[in-house]
Order: sequence, then C-alpha cells, then structure tokens
Amino acid sequence: MRKEYDTFVDKLSDLVEKGEVELTIRDLTLGQHKYESRYVRAILSSSIDQLPGGDVLWIRFTMGFLHPKPWAIKITAELGEYQP
Amino acid sequence: MAFKDNRDFIEALSKTGDVVPIKQEIDWDLEVGAIVRKANERREAAPFFEKIKDYPDGFRIFGSPLATERRLAVSMGLSPDSTGLLRNIQEEYERRVRSRIKPVVVSKASCKENVLVGDDVDLFLFPAPMIHEGDGGRYLGSWHMVITRDLDSDWVNWGMYRLMVYNRRILTSICESYSHLHAIKAKYEYQKKPMPVAIAIGADPISSFAAATQLGIGRSEADFASALRQEPVELIKCETNDLFVPAHAEIVLEGELVQGTKIAEGPFGEYTGYRSNPRERQIAYKINAITYRNNPIVTMSCMGMPVDDSAIVVGLTTQSAIKRHLQRHGVPVTNVYVPPETGSYLVIVGVKPNYCNTASVIANTIFSTSRATFKVIIVDADVDVFDLNQVLHAFATKCHPVRGIRVSDREASTQLTPYLSADEKKWRKGASVAFDCTWPFEWSKESEVPVRISFEEAYPEEVKQKVTQNWTTYGFRRS
Repeated sequence: MRKEYDTFVDKLSDLVEKGEVELTIRDLTLGQHKYESRYVRAILSSSIDQLPGGDVLWIRFTMGFLHPKPWAIKITAELGEYQP
Repeated sequence: MAFKDNRDFIEALSKTGDVVPIKQEIDWDLEVGAIVRKANERREAAPFFEKIKDYPDGFRIFGSPLATERRLAVSMGLSPDSTGLLRNIQEEYERRVRSRIKPVVVSKASCKENVLVGDDVDLFLFPAPMIHEGDGGRYLGSWHMVITRDLDSDWVNWGMYRLMVYNRRILTSICESYSHLHAIKAKYEYQKKPMPVAIAIGADPISSFAAATQLGIGRSEADFASALRQEPVELIKCETNDLFVPAHAEIVLEGELVQGTKIAEGPFGEYTGYRSNPRERQIAYKINAITYRNNPIVTMSCMGMPVDDSAIVVGLTTQSAIKRHLQRHGVPVTNVYVPPETGSYLVIVGVKPNYCNTASVIANTIFSTSRATFKVIIVDADVDVFDLNQVLHAFATKCHPVRGIRVSDREASTQLTPYLSADEKKWRKGASVAFDCTWPFEWSKESEVPVRISFEEAYPEEVKQKVTQNWTTYGFRRS
C-alpha cells in the first residue's frame, strides 16, 4: 500500500526529477498524526509508473491550490524536523 | 458575575439558545471547519462538537465562541435579547474598561489536571482541526492566547497569533512587524536570549477576547480582561518557565521561540475573508510541556468571509479605541463604528465639525496609529454611523469624487491585506483612503448646505404629529 504525502511549491518547475532533492513534506496517513511535517531527501517523479516502489506525492501551490495530478516520491533520508 | 472558565460560558450559552451541542461523530479534518463556517455565515448558534473522529471520548471542540453580538453579550453577562444590543455592548464595554482591576495568582488550578513534559509532548494529542481546504496545516491556535514577557520590564503581552501544528513538538506562527509580539521578540533576538512562551487555549471568554485586542505597548491584557470581567482573572505559574497563564484554561502549551531559523507556515484562510498570503517560512515555537484539563475542549474560530469572532471582537475594541483616540485629540466625534462585515478594514466616524477640514484631521489621527484600518468614511452628526443605509446614502450624495477623497500611498500595512501585490505584502507597503461625507464647514447653512428631506426633517412638528396619530385611520396597517 503506497503512502501519501504532499508538499508546497511556488510553481511546478521547482520540482526536479533528476537526482535527489530536499523538501518538506506532510504525511497524509489517516489518523491522529495526519499532516505532520518532515524534512527529507527524496527522489521525485512526475509519474508514479516511472518510480517503482515510490509513494504518492500530492502537490500544492503556496496559496493552497491542489495540483490535480499527483507525483511520486521515494524518501532516501530523513534530514531532521525542518529545513535549516 | 464573570465566567470562571469556558465551560461555565458554554452552559450559559445553552440557556440562551446560543450553542448547539453536536453529539454525532464529526471529522476534525475539514468537517468541523465547514460546520463552523456555515454557522458563522448564517449567524447561527456556536457549534460544540462532543465526539471527534480519531480522538477519545471527552476530547471536544468549541467553535467560534464570540462570533455573534449575542454571544459577546452573554460573555459580558448582558442580556442578548435587549434592543440596541450593539450600542449596549459598546457602552458597557467603555464603562468597564475605565476601571482598574489586577489579576490574582492561585496555586492550584484545573489546567494542571494532566501534565506532559519533554518527549511525552505530542501536539497531535488534541483534535486541532484542519479548518479550510488548502490550509498549510492543522491550526491548534485560532482562538487562544500567546503569552510573552518583555525583556526590559514586567509587561506581559497576551496576543492572538495563529498557530499551525508543524509536528509533534513545533508550532509555527506569523508575527507582523507592527505587533507587540514582534516588539518583544526583537529584544530577545538582539540579546540572543531564548524567549519563553506560553499558549493558553480555551481560557474564559473575556480573557480570550482580551488576547484578540491590541492595547498599547506596555499595557497588560490580563488587567484589561479583569476590568472587563469586573473580577480578577486567576493566573497560575507555568511548569517549565516563569510565565503565568489563565488558571482555568483548557490547554496550556509551554515552550520557547525557535532561534536562528524560520519554519514553513500557512497558508491559512484569514479574517479578511481570503487566504491571501502564501506558505512562507515564519517564526516557530518548540513546546516543552503541556498541561490540560480532563476532557479538554479546543476552542477554535473559523476565519473567513465575515462575520466571525475576530470581526466582532476587533470591531468593538477598534471602534472604542478610535473614538477615545479622536476625543483625546479634541475631535468633536459623535460615534465610531467598525462594521464587522468589513474585517476591521473600514471605519465610519460621525463628527460635528467645528473647523475646516475636520475629516482630514480624523484621517491623519487614525492612520497615524492604526496598522489594520485603511479606509475611513467620515459623516456628519445627523447620520447614524450604525445604520449602513444612512452611511451609504451620505457616501453617495455628500462625498465629492475629487476633493472628498484623500489618498495616501505610503502607509504601513500587513501581509494579510488581500488587495496588495506580492511585493507590497512582502514589504508591508500599504495605502489608505478617507472619504469625506460631511458638508464643507465653510458652506453657508442658509444658502449652500442642501436640506435633507425626510419625514422627520421636512415637516413641521404639528403636521408630523397629526399624520402619525391618524396613520392607521388612513388605511395603513402598521402604526
């Protein structure tokens, strides 16, 4: 079962598909801790199919709008509570 | 007698029909927010959610405690059914805040029934609602108080600055550069000292009211709340710092400002009726301890299109503060009204001019101090500032499209102001405008000032009396 996260961006081009990126994500797992934030290193893809083993990453723009098509994310490292 | 706590207040609201207890399970994730929002927009009673999804029995949410004039009246011990309610509230408010009552410190209190320290702290323990779709997180602080102490004096500030749950230990918040919190925070940062903070959620209604107001630098909201309650607020010391909190608050969070960095916060639907500032890195607090009552009640406001708690409370306190301020400057003000529908961005001032350009003096006086009111309509004393129909008529017929409008494009503003560009929000660059809807003082009353035509003003007394006495005999149904 894929987990689901989301992240906030100014624009879609801020997301990089080649190599690893560092970003703040919110965990969308249902329950008391839904929406808890983490700062991680991850590989992203605009297509779930192109990132085997990846989880779902929803994209929100910084004013809160939800991008209709989810991306994929594979977390490679936990970098602490927040972006330094 | 003042309400000792939030629970007494809810009980009083149930007697006046101003609260709706909701016993079915409600989802904290948007459903709570949607219900409170709809209730606000319909000016309904306050929703009190008694069963929250994912949370144990007894963990509850109380929505928009003061979002109607009726609930504000009840919070002050006034009858919500009296005629002229808004005027009554304002008069009573102005009478009470002139008194001086100090809070008292107690050694035992219900807010200490449960204590969590260090690694046991988990902000998700409480049902912080996801209030609007698109918000940057769950807001545990939307109707609460943030308590900080000035580094150079005994001044303790209570303020209401939104608080987003970032993770189990961290809350993020905004801090406007004109706010008292900013003034206090700057001193700690300059001296590189940790800034302790306490956050009280679900204090008695008047203490929360006090936190939502902006008094002058150095003025204590705890004193103000005690005066408005006409009884001292009971305070108790925190477990991990030297701050004092309302003793009967539902939840108390103790922590300190995260130094040297800022953390993602927002966006959030605000009192302006919009979600208008983007997700940005803002100030944050690390929470070191939590104390809370058994069966805690999270208080929340669902900000958005007015009218909500902020509009009611800030409107009342702003209009009274502006009236006092103008009177101190010798302006012959008759009354002041901040319509709650305007999110405090607009103020209407009634005046009896006794010199030329009184409207300019009023505008200068207001804009020299206000950081949240950017539009002012000035009307003559014969216009009831509380009657928006009369105000609109005066605006349409008395405000000259050129010389009646005074614009300033060099004001300080807030990042939440919807009509500002992204750059203006970033730099808090604002503007102001005053609409002079008074007849020019120099116009001759006999030959230049237009004569208002209404039943009251256009007929002799004996004719009015005769018409009024015979009204139903003419065939009209209502006397």
